[in-house]
Amino acid sequence: MILVIAEQKDGKLNRATWEAIVGAQQLDASAIAVLVLGAKAASVAGELAAASVQEIVTLEHPALEPYTPDGFTAALQDAIAQLSPSHVLLPHTYQTRDFAPKLAARLDRAIVTDVTAIKRGRETAFMRPMFQGKLTADVVPQGPAPHFVTFQIGAFRVDQVAKGAASAPVRALTVNVDASAIRQKPEPPFQQAKAAVDLSQAERIVSVGRGIKEQANIKIAEELAKALGAELAASRPICDSGWLPMERQVGSSGQTVAPKLYLALGISGAIQHLVGMKGSHTIVAINKDPDAPIFEIADYGIVGDLFEIVPAMIEALKQ
Amino acid sequence: MATLIFWLLFLAFVGVFAAQVATRLRLIAAAPNTFDLSDAGDRARRWLADVLFQRKTIVERPVAGLAHALVFWGFLAFALYTSVEFLYALGLVDLTGAGWFHAYRLALVPFASAVLIGILYLLIRRAFARPAGLGDHVSAESIVIALFIATLMITYLLTLRLEEGTAVWTLNWWLHMLVILAFLALIPASKHFHLVVSPVTVFLKSPELGNLPNLDFEKEQVGLETLKDLGSKSVLDAFTCVECGRCQVNCPAWGAGKALNPKTIILQTQDALLAGERDQKLGAIYSENVLWQCTTCGACENQCPVGIEHLPILIGSRRGLVSNGDAPEYLGAMYNNLERRSNIWGLGYDQRTKFVTSAGLETFDPAKHDVLVWLGCAGSFDADFQKSLRSLFSILHAKGVAFGVLAKERCTGDPAKRTGNEYMYQELANANIEDLKSARVKKIVTSCPHCVKTIGADYAKFGYRVEIVHSSVFVNDLLQDAGGAAPAGSADTVTYHDPCYLGRYAGTTDEPRALLTRFGAEIREPERNRDNPYCCGAGGGLLFADKEEEPGSRISDVRFKQLQATGATTVVTACPFCSIMLKGAQASAGAETQFVDLMTYVDGKLRAIG
Amino acid sequence: MKIAVCIKQVPTREWQPRLDDSKTWIRESDASFEMNEPDAYALEEALRLKEKHGGEVVVCSAGPARVAQVIREALARGADRAIHVDDEGLAGADAFVTAAALASAMHEEKFDLVLTGLQSDDQGFAQVGVVLAEKLGVPHSTIIMEVQIDGASLRVKRELEGGWFQWIAMPLPAVLTIQSGINQLRYATLKGIMAAKKKEIRKAAAPAGAAAKQKIVSLYVPEKGKKTQIIGGSPAEAAKTLVQKLRDEARVIQ
Repeated sequence: MILVIAEQKDGKLNRATWEAIVGAQQLDASAIAVLVLGAKAASVAGELAAASVQEIVTLEHPALEPYTPDGFTAALQDAIAQLSPSHVLLPHTYQTRDFAPKLAARLDRAIVTDVTAIKRGRETAFMRPMFQGKLTADVVPQGPAPHFVTFQIGAFRVDQVAKGAASAPVRALTVNVDASAIRQKPEPPFQQAKAAVDLSQAERIVSVGRGIKEQANIKIAEELAKALGAELAASRPICDSGWLPMERQVGSSGQTVAPKLYLALGISGAIQHLVGMKGSHTIVAINKDPDAPIFEIADYGIVGDLFEIVPAMIEALKQ
Repeated sequence: MATLIFWLLFLAFVGVFAAQVATRLRLIAAAPNTFDLSDAGDRARRWLADVLFQRKTIVERPVAGLAHALVFWGFLAFALYTSVEFLYALGLVDLTGAGWFHAYRLALVPFASAVLIGILYLLIRRAFARPAGLGDHVSAESIVIALFIATLMITYLLTLRLEEGTAVWTLNWWLHMLVILAFLALIPASKHFHLVVSPVTVFLKSPELGNLPNLDFEKEQVGLETLKDLGSKSVLDAFTCVECGRCQVNCPAWGAGKALNPKTIILQTQDALLAGERDQKLGAIYSENVLWQCTTCGACENQCPVGIEHLPILIGSRRGLVSNGDAPEYLGAMYNNLERRSNIWGLGYDQRTKFVTSAGLETFDPAKHDVLVWLGCAGSFDADFQKSLRSLFSILHAKGVAFGVLAKERCTGDPAKRTGNEYMYQELANANIEDLKSARVKKIVTSCPHCVKTIGADYAKFGYRVEIVHSSVFVNDLLQDAGGAAPAGSADTVTYHDPCYLGRYAGTTDEPRALLTRFGAEIREPERNRDNPYCCGAGGGLLFADKEEEPGSRISDVRFKQLQATGATTVVTACPFCSIMLKGAQASAGAETQFVDLMTYVDGKLRAIG
Repeated sequence: MKIAVCIKQVPTREWQPRLDDSKTWIRESDASFEMNEPDAYALEEALRLKEKHGGEVVVCSAGPARVAQVIREALARGADRAIHVDDEGLAGADAFVTAAALASAMHEEKFDLVLTGLQSDDQGFAQVGVVLAEKLGVPHSTIIMEVQIDGASLRVKRELEGGWFQWIAMPLPAVLTIQSGINQLRYATLKGIMAAKKKEIRKAAAPAGAAAKQKIVSLYVPEKGKKTQIIGGSPAEAAKTLVQKLRDEARVIQ
């Protein structure tokens, strides 16, 4: 049986759990159980029951609220002993990274993290990136079951979840956890009061350069940023002219950023700017000049007029 | 009786003079010895030109310089006269009646007049015109000295006019002698000490601009940390300063309104030495932030007429700070980049390999290739500058020059050296020298003036000598034989920005211009050019600085305005870093000026000719 | 305070790896190596904590002989001494084997605090720190932005997804994995480099019988290499194609 560990917070299911279920269904659709832990697990169970799985198991225990790696490890250790799965699958979220390796180490079992695909073959292998994505490895976990696997966020598409003909049954599991042995004492989470712009934490950035021509045109970049859920940034001349504040400057004399997506509008790619963003995961360049150095490091490029392309992008994103 | 009085006065004033000189000599003697007499021929030649013929004094400020030269030559001419009068006054020998002495005294009249005119001009200039280089307030001592000199000349002329032996004549004579004695006593503690030391300082000045000996790690040398670490040449320099301000007004940092002022550095050194606090940290004396504003352009040292070397003090102090972990943060990042990736931007080596492959470059083979082309950091990683290198390659191919590149290049270490990270510099330098030696390289061509200076002059201190020329020199030679007809109707109006490390350090100013004019370009010179350009602001690690909290403007913005003021719409550059800085300034100014690298310009013209 | 920093030596981040003959690992002889960048943040944090609270910083690394390079780099920046679990077999070892090797050498030292980076730039499993905590029997927390020490207890700021943060208290000794980018590693000063030559590097043997928990059966270059895709067509078409590729191919938007 394949056990998927769901992640939820205050009764709100983490979307990545669905991705893990897709992965489980690819591995062996016939024997999947989904385990939900923490307070309000029962309310989430109903949602999960729509998936084509064998059962939903809820696990509520005072030691599980709030989340601590000590608490989760102890509870799951007990649960796994009861359920005896062949595989334990989780989405590779911050929380999973915090406890899953500990749980695997506690049980002295293999854990393969950040997997992007499952390869069926003589032995089932798990595909994952290595060397900053320059190489891909097929990894086979060694040793006895259960094998732990965590899936990279976005590796599986949520809309590919197979739904069940009927709702899967839900049952509760009880475990023994010594709450006094939990060493972490978490305080309530909070959102950072953002006094200043912190581009280094942004996941997506839309950046403007001289190609934007006038201050008034920055508006279209702002709209694109909004449509993408991105932060706005700029190369030095834009900030020098005062069209955007200095905190938004990216480059060797500004901020160094490495977002998932860096979209450079009308930026030529002078080296002083490049060194500030070359670590970005995916770089898109839109520039009139086909010889602009930015195209050398871009993953995707469009040679053209940004004033026509950007509005078209905003349209496409709405769909 | 008069003789006795004179002796007493003489001993008193000379005693004061000697005591003050002794203090300064003791400070020089106590400092670690950095006197160097190598290349005596060069030094002697320069001494003749700058001391005897006052070349440096006159070139930067022609009128004031000439006025000073007149005073100086007059001073030399009067030496014999003064000696004879003193021998007479001390009752030792009386040559005052000799026939030749009479003729000599008459011959001195034009000199005395020249000195008088010169000193009066300088006095008025200092007191009323108040040029920036001379400081904010008029120093009383300067006025006194100027009046002394004027008095000496007037009293001298009067000795010829007045009737000898009369009371007036005697009074006049005594006044003359007393002024000389008073002057003597004032010399050591004033800027007029240069009368005594500057000929020595000029001779001891290194023939190499920005001379920075390697640190010896075996001896645990870490650079200059406290006042007592300053070398004897630097101590001598501190006492030689004439406060003329040539270093100040030519300094690009000062010109951009920053706190750095090379003249202040020297005078602060002097004050600190005389105050005697040998353990005081140099970072405290100069105030650390000022030390990081220097681009190492060398204008200060180059302009100084009395042989002061500012860079060993500035960069030496940087070394002390860097060795202790007190480098500014942006330099820390640069050092980590050099350590991990051997280039200042920390970029991956694959980028260089990609360029080498796409440009079809061959690995240097001494059997096949005439020259090695050294790409440098910018050449290896800056896509913009690589366009210029492609132009160079095209020219070399067209002229049948067989060339190759090194399989592995590291930064020459220039930015590490100029910012004071001597360890990183030596690591890079030694590794590069190993590679250059095993590749059996005899001649190097490069488009980066910093590489020219570092490989050509600095690597020599490790005993490695190789011929290295800037691409402008090499290409100019190549084209000598070819005829250079300007394509019809192509009179471009350009301005050429001399890179500091090319125009000032290497003295290469003619070849780039020859390449431009050969193709009919009209060159509009900016106000600072040739061997005294105004820095672009990249040197000394400042490429990465750009701290908005600093006062003043960006050095690059100031220079860009100067280039714009020529009216030319095209700026020609011959250094990758000048190009980065000036293009940045252009973008900030929102200007439409075209930038073209010299090699790209030449290649374009050659192709047009066909 | 006795602080340990676990540092891994990895192939240079921007080097294009070449495969060995078995196609299950890289050709190490071709590679140049450097300190794992995420560990550099842990090192800087450790050095700052030492400056604030006193004590010593001990660099710990498990790997073949060449690992001495990053150990020296850490010593040159102010770490006081080092422990090197020296074994050729540790090159390319999985996280469990590495953590077991480190734990065996670190146990007796009874460190107050152990810092590691989030993950390694080569394998990137993000496991060693957490597994190490389990093996040492101490509490841990991951993705730490800030560390506050008060006597025998610890209060750390952990980063959560979506711009949320959380403070967590726990007793010392503990293991923390440090978030990348929270500081800038100081450069190696001349004095630091000179002093490093005299600092102790204790060699330890890797424990026998540490079984690998995973096996790389194949290592290969992914189909989509890092090549620029220039998207053609009219502005409207190109825009549409770009959005689609960002969604499905690069997967950077939903």
